[in-house]
Amino acid sequence: MTRLAVSDRRRRRLGSAALDALAYVVVAVLFAPVLLLVVSSLQTDGRLASGTYDLLHPTFAAFRDMWRSVAFGHYLVNSAIICTAAATLATAFASTAGYALARFRFPGSRPFSLTVVATQLLPGSMFLLPVFLGFIWLKDNTPVQLFDTRIGMVLVYTAFFTPVSIFLMRSFFAGIPRELEEAALVDGCTRFGALRRIVLRAAAPGLIATFAYAFLFAWDELLFVTALTQSHAETIPIGIRNFIGNYNGKYAQLMAAGVVSTLPVMVAFFATQRWLVKGLTAGAVKA
Amino acid sequence: MLLIHIVPAAGGVVLSLKNLNTFTFSKLFGAPWTGLRNYRELLFDGASPLRAGFMDALRNTAIYTSVTVAGTIGGGLGVALLLNRPVRGARALRTLALTPWIVPTFVVATLWQFMWQSDVGIVDKLLVDWTHVLHHRPVWLLGGNTIWAIVVPSVWRGLPFSMLLCFAGLRAIPSELYEAAAIDGAGAWQRFRAITLPLLRPLLAIQLLFLVIYTAYQFVIPNVMLGSDPGPHADLLMTLIVRTSFQNNLVGVGAAASTLLVLGMAVWVGVWLLAFRRDLEAPA
Repeated sequence: MTRLAVSDRRRRRLGSAALDALAYVVVAVLFAPVLLLVVSSLQTDGRLASGTYDLLHPTFAAFRDMWRSVAFGHYLVNSAIICTAAATLATAFASTAGYALARFRFPGSRPFSLTVVATQLLPGSMFLLPVFLGFIWLKDNTPVQLFDTRIGMVLVYTAFFTPVSIFLMRSFFAGIPRELEEAALVDGCTRFGALRRIVLRAAAPGLIATFAYAFLFAWDELLFVTALTQSHAETIPIGIRNFIGNYNGKYAQLMAAGVVSTLPVMVAFFATQRWLVKGLTAGAVKA
Repeated sequence: MLLIHIVPAAGGVVLSLKNLNTFTFSKLFGAPWTGLRNYRELLFDGASPLRAGFMDALRNTAIYTSVTVAGTIGGGLGVALLLNRPVRGARALRTLALTPWIVPTFVVATLWQFMWQSDVGIVDKLLVDWTHVLHHRPVWLLGGNTIWAIVVPSVWRGLPFSMLLCFAGLRAIPSELYEAAAIDGAGAWQRFRAITLPLLRPLLAIQLLFLVIYTAYQFVIPNVMLGSDPGPHADLLMTLIVRTSFQNNLVGVGAAASTLLVLGMAVWVGVWLLAFRRDLEAPA
């Protein structure tokens, strides 16, 4: 009887160790491509081709040369400006709309929420064509220049990422106790003053998370920027695609460009991870 | 927002009914009406090369979407379960496992395009040169394998986010339930079937809804990895629509294909509602 119990416990411990090992292996496999991206960017093309990776003698040549192969700096600046502006605007709109949805029941608040969801069901291509044609028409017939301009892309991305941002902000606002505002109102604050001084301050993590969300997704957008720009306002995804098209075989530089494109969002993510993860998971777990 | 989303979308439906191409482009919305001809050509005209391309893209999108979604949610749940145990360094493991999701999609496509190369790529080096699992070098970026060349990176990038959501869901399940079940003599599999799955069902359902839509609208991965024409085995509806509209200038046909894609998604939402309506109404 005792021997049986011991062997049972040992078997369980073996099983547990096996699952631990499996967890390590799975995570290693998931992480390996990211590691490969970084390692490859530090090799020469010759070493990549022969498969003899030299980890002890990394070279930064690819990071130096990539800026000359394509106008990567141009794309990077465009991406930085467009994504920052669009994320800021989307967060601003979303915080006002999200606050209204979280605090007030106004006529049409439910249809409004449903429409916000519905926008996520339409594929980009559905409104890409009309937006494209509209931009072209504006360019040809009015002084309003949106086609192939940063302002045009900011406008499109703001519209694009505001709906989900509204949802994020609403859940953050809903998590702030009403009593905080009511206390401020009693103390003589105006409704707007209470919003500014109390609620926005309490929702600061939410604002940061929403900004990071919009920034991450704008950074990743390729479809609209393909169609709506030609040379002036092109962003990093286009730059990478041009790289693949024109410099096939220069894998070290390509990987270096990949590392440089990933770094800003990596930093944005890890800086805001605590709030962003909470915001994204809260919505899904509750729903 | 209504203005920017809804009005252009309606405009898209209007365009799909028009004969808009290079010759009539300057007239835009003034182009001649053609009724349902664009739709008929895509769906029923056996002699049309457009129909053959559309059917390929439709089939590929169906395969791509179902396999990717199944792999993403199944894998995400599996990894979440693995990391929800008291493993040494669990926090660090979760962070490492999450990193693929932060790599931008276009970098994912670039990285995997490099990995799939048959001469310098790591996949073939691993399978053929280093472990000798295979004796010939499979070609990934041409022909029948291309569909897997886009499915695998899609799962790789999507899985961590699914894991994150599943993990949050697992954390929300009270541990008393498992303890009570263990006392009653339920095995690990029974506990999973009777407690974990039912309680995660609403969360998995929401993921399923949005992931299918998101995946069916995938454009970046095939476009960056395989170019504007990914070939008959990996051309998805979105790459087809963009190519038809912007390179071949058959804007009307592209708009018709877009409308069909949205209709397909509307059907999916309907099916989803039928299957999971109860979960939506269940108290959180």
